[in-house]
Amino acid sequence: MPSLTDRPAAPKPLSRRFADGFQVWNRKLHYYTGLYLLFFLWLFAITGLLLNHSSWNFAQFFPNRKVSNWERAIQPLAPASDLGQAQDLMRQLGIRGEIAWNAARTDPARLDFNAARPGRTYQVQADLKQGRVKVMLTEYNGWGLLRTLHTFVGVSPDDPRNQREWVLTSVWALSMDAVAAGVVFLVLSSLYMWWGLKEKRKLGLAALALGIAVCGLFVSGLRWLYG
Amino acid sequence: MKQLYAFTRDLHLYLGLVICPTVLVFAVSVPFLVHAWIPGAAKQPVSRIAGDLPVPDGVELMKGRDQVNAVRGVLDRVGVRGEVNFIRRIPKEHRLAIPVILPGREVVVDLNTATRSATITNRGDNLWSGLVWLHKMPGQHNANLRGNWVFLRTWKWLADATVYLVLFLSVSGIYLWAVLRAERRIGWTLIGAGAGSFFGLVYALTH
Repeated sequence: MPSLTDRPAAPKPLSRRFADGFQVWNRKLHYYTGLYLLFFLWLFAITGLLLNHSSWNFAQFFPNRKVSNWERAIQPLAPASDLGQAQDLMRQLGIRGEIAWNAARTDPARLDFNAARPGRTYQVQADLKQGRVKVMLTEYNGWGLLRTLHTFVGVSPDDPRNQREWVLTSVWALSMDAVAAGVVFLVLSSLYMWWGLKEKRKLGLAALALGIAVCGLFVSGLRWLYG
Repeated sequence: MKQLYAFTRDLHLYLGLVICPTVLVFAVSVPFLVHAWIPGAAKQPVSRIAGDLPVPDGVELMKGRDQVNAVRGVLDRVGVRGEVNFIRRIPKEHRLAIPVILPGREVVVDLNTATRSATITNRGDNLWSGLVWLHKMPGQHNANLRGNWVFLRTWKWLADATVYLVLFLSVSGIYLWAVLRAERRIGWTLIGAGAGSFFGLVYALTH
């Protein structure tokens, strides 16, 4: 006859099992997310540094740009919106990229715009009456390409005329959102893991408080101090 | 080996905790930058007028950082503190338009050098626009002007430190994962999938 000590352990309550499972999966998802986003994180971290240090000599791109010009005849554009005509023109020229408008169109016989993708910009100036187009292509080196990847969103809050219309810009913008969401998850999951380590709570709280104090000074403290 | 693992894990934890608020600032502001939309950004500006200002001689003709340093006295007199974004000269009217930014607040000082007076327009507070501004600062534009306020120079240092620490956290995170043998296969698969998505997207964007 089995003794009392031989009895199988009582099953854990459901809430405990859920908490244990959550802890395990939170930890796993923390490093799974980090590993998947590794290259994206490195790109945005390193290019952030480049953008903040535009004087670094080794990463100069604008003085090293290559500019080429050409001119050619074009087929008449079908009546359409500015965007539709620009897309038609780009098809004729074999150009792909995000359209950026410099100024409002005042002359219907002209169509001027830029088409950009990381590493290259096309400045397109079309004379629809003459049926000719001038194109200036500016190509940047790898550093220029990397910087553009950091900021390539196709929209600007100060310029509502420019809207994303190239599908790849939308995909890239979506991936930026996803990386940001992934980073928020990495932070929250790390906070949960840390809180589970009772012996590290005190020092962790000090570290977190230091981070909140420094960051909080910039986010709202300065407005409070100097407002 | 065990000591190295424990030391790396502690550094990963504590340094991560120190920078996590700043990392959140950068991450949370991304959607606002990507979609060019900031909640509650359109507020009614409030203006006031100040006179008898100590306008330095020849300030209109100065350039760059010298001009910013010269108008600092005027800004102090009207109680406007922050990073001077740029200075736009309107020569015919003897005016200088000076947007001054604190994270989350933009004040435009429209200085008339002939009458030594200024119209000060406050566009109101907005936490989200403050996050966006911090994300973009100091940035690549107006490099000769940028950092004309001590707190922006400090923020530049903090933003740089955040990048270096993120790089450290990613490398130490790889080490901490690599020790877990049971997770290696799935980890490599995820690194491969991430690399595939990343390089695939970059290739499509650039070719």
